[in-house]
Amino acid sequence: MAQEIEKPRKVQYPHDSTCYKITDEIGRGVSAIVYKAICIPNSTVVAIKSIDLDRSRTELESVRLEAKIMSLLSHPNILRAHCSFMVDHRLWVVMPFMSSGSLQSIMTSSFPDGLSEPCIAVILRETLNALSYLHNQGHLHRDIKAGNILIDSNGSVKLADFGVSASIYESNSGKGSNSGTNSASGRLTDLAGTPYWMAPEVIHSHTGYSFKADIWSFGITALELAHGRPPLSHLPPSKSLIMKITKRYRFSDYERAKNSKNKKFSKNFKDMVGLCLDQDPSKRPSAEKLLKHSFFKNCKNSDFLSKNLLVGLPSVEQRFREIKLQRLESMNCRSADGDDEDDQVFLIGGVTVKQRRISGWNFNEDGFELDPVFPVSKEDNEIDNDIVKQVRFGGETIIRDRGGESEKLNLQTQLADGEIGGGGGGGSVDRDVMMGSLMFLKKSLDDQRQKVMNMIDMINGEENVEMSRELQLMQVIENLKMELENVKKRNFELEMELGVSQLTAKQQSL
Amino acid sequence: MKGLFKSKPKTPVDLVRLTRDLLIYVDQNPDSRETKREEKMLELNKLIRELKSILYGNGEAEPVSEACAQLTQEFFRENTLRLLILCLPKLNLEARKDATQVVANLQRQQVQFRLIACDYLEANIDLMDILVLGYENTDMALHYGTMLRECIRHQSVARYVLESENVKKFFDYIQLPNFDIAADASATFKELLTRHKSTVAEFLSKNYDWFFAEYNSKLLESTNYITRRQAIKLLGDMLLDRSNCAVMTRYVSSRDNLRILMNLLRESSKSIQIEAFHVFKLFVANQHKPADIISILLANKTKLLRLFADFKTDKEDEQFEADKAQVIREILALEPWDQP
Repeated sequence: MAQEIEKPRKVQYPHDSTCYKITDEIGRGVSAIVYKAICIPNSTVVAIKSIDLDRSRTELESVRLEAKIMSLLSHPNILRAHCSFMVDHRLWVVMPFMSSGSLQSIMTSSFPDGLSEPCIAVILRETLNALSYLHNQGHLHRDIKAGNILIDSNGSVKLADFGVSASIYESNSGKGSNSGTNSASGRLTDLAGTPYWMAPEVIHSHTGYSFKADIWSFGITALELAHGRPPLSHLPPSKSLIMKITKRYRFSDYERAKNSKNKKFSKNFKDMVGLCLDQDPSKRPSAEKLLKHSFFKNCKNSDFLSKNLLVGLPSVEQRFREIKLQRLESMNCRSADGDDEDDQVFLIGGVTVKQRRISGWNFNEDGFELDPVFPVSKEDNEIDNDIVKQVRFGGETIIRDRGGESEKLNLQTQLADGEIGGGGGGGSVDRDVMMGSLMFLKKSLDDQRQKVMNMIDMINGEENVEMSRELQLMQVIENLKMELENVKKRNFELEMELGVSQLTAKQQSL
Repeated sequence: MKGLFKSKPKTPVDLVRLTRDLLIYVDQNPDSRETKREEKMLELNKLIRELKSILYGNGEAEPVSEACAQLTQEFFRENTLRLLILCLPKLNLEARKDATQVVANLQRQQVQFRLIACDYLEANIDLMDILVLGYENTDMALHYGTMLRECIRHQSVARYVLESENVKKFFDYIQLPNFDIAADASATFKELLTRHKSTVAEFLSKNYDWFFAEYNSKLLESTNYITRRQAIKLLGDMLLDRSNCAVMTRYVSSRDNLRILMNLLRESSKSIQIEAFHVFKLFVANQHKPADIISILLANKTKLLRLFADFKTDKEDEQFEADKAQVIREILALEPWDQP
């Protein structure tokens, strides 16, 4: 389906910043800014993503891979780069300008309660075309969400932002240690993406995940388009939220009481989303299969969007200015730079709550919602205490409530078993599982830390005794990490000194 | 009609043979524009994709090692790899990517415990020149570059590339204006200079003079930020590798090198400064510094101490602080060189 041979390099986009005239800023993240600009030699409007490589904490290797993926993909539903080049210490990625911006930005400005079903169908079908192409190429996108789906004035839909995408064909050949890619089995174990859209197996990445993780995020994106936001996103981080979570408070995410419109969605739509949100990745359909779902049967063409969705929308530039003003106003409530905001540049009018740990989801087909299930400790303790215990004793279990029936998620038990099994033989837990568990733990800790940071910012000095234990723990872990690094380095330096002195000994003997 | 001829599935060996036949046809009929050629191209694309799915498996099935071995053996029995590399520019983007993945995978396939790809490449080593020169062709660079990186996993192949004249070209490729191509060339260059320790050590000692002259002037003193940053990082990686100890000792005894490193220390970019420090400390830590090194350090003593006074990494880094403290101590303790 995607086999037409595009020859975009034939239209020349110079590798020289003086050939571009910047007209507007249309997006901003921690280390990247997106501009609207004109390419002077061919008078084409373009978007330029300017990434500060000196400030960016991402490794150059991942920037290289993103650039490579972007220049080798060619599909009508995928945003491709015209070219990329260095301008001092910034990388400029020149891309087609998608004049209507991201769907997330469209919803924030004009459709806070979500889009109509026929529009959603077109958007999802086009996105699936892109996903199916990507997956056939062996790539995972790993960050499917409305903020990464862009739309042009003619209604064409393109999937963007390959900042965290990964290839299961290409194991990082360089140092390879920090990449979880395992090309033999085509599974990934490292964490990437944006939490609300993350599949359960990505969060608990002890078994690894594959293309089906994108399908989950696709399902969440469908809900996001239907309701205006992904499940859970409107909740502010606060002490009370944690209380609700730990007390197994079940809340309806979309506050239907307030939302009097009471939107009706078709059975087909609900069924399609339900398939994507199956807890078991192997039961989720592939992108190719989903395209054949009856929900997409009488789907309109993409110019339907230009006539129905895009009429009278404020421009991308206007929207960004509004958002910027709002941000300035709320500046003092916002916490310092989040770690992973780099890839948020397209998320105009971004989400403020970033990280929250969720142990599972239950898709409620009737309500067309996804009910989150939060980890609850056995003693119904505070969640932070729970985490501390998991780390210290490694044998705690998390009970996952699944619509009344309880199910044990014995990640930590597995971990302990693994250690025993290794000695006694017959234990089926291998290194990968172990790594997965450890990475999951690390991720939980990171999440918790983030949360604590947010809260500290919120409370602004207010005492919080429970939290301090966790902070201490984080500190301990940091120190241990650092010690390990130091020992490694010292070792190395000693060896080197030895080498130098041997050499000088030789020189002296001459 | 087609249904009638739907015979039993083709074996891996059949697929490779059919691919080879079509590649020969494409190679020998470069200009014919008739529909026949287009049909053959379509078939070729399909065949390459089938080879790929045998090697990598597809959505439903994992690769079968027996089939992979047969495919690999047939592939290298004749000159299929050469044909594929030569015809690559004639394929469309999707087929090029598939072919690249096939070639990459074949480098790791073992047939009776042997990497026969390596034997083939040793006998056809001139193919490496084609791949290296691919960086000069915008449309082919990323495909040939990926193949090249996979081929230099074999030590003998890496040695050939390092010792060929072409290695000098990397100093220019790394600075190409296309970021994606320059970054790819840079990744290959790094692989060449770090992967096979003994080969690298031998290469660096034998080619010390011209190599570091180029490295300093073209990379470390480049006007391109990303070139300088990657070069200083790679220099640190090379010098700190203990297999390159002799080279390191030689490098840190040169005043010209010290001058370049001190300039990098003054850069406005934090990342470059930090990486430069990791090399600079070797000059200072050297217990047998030549007189001219000592005199440069002494002449710049105040400036250096002032620089290090508020020289910090973004994240707290104990080791860095310890190194810094040691460097400061060494500089403070410097005495003018006594002639023996």
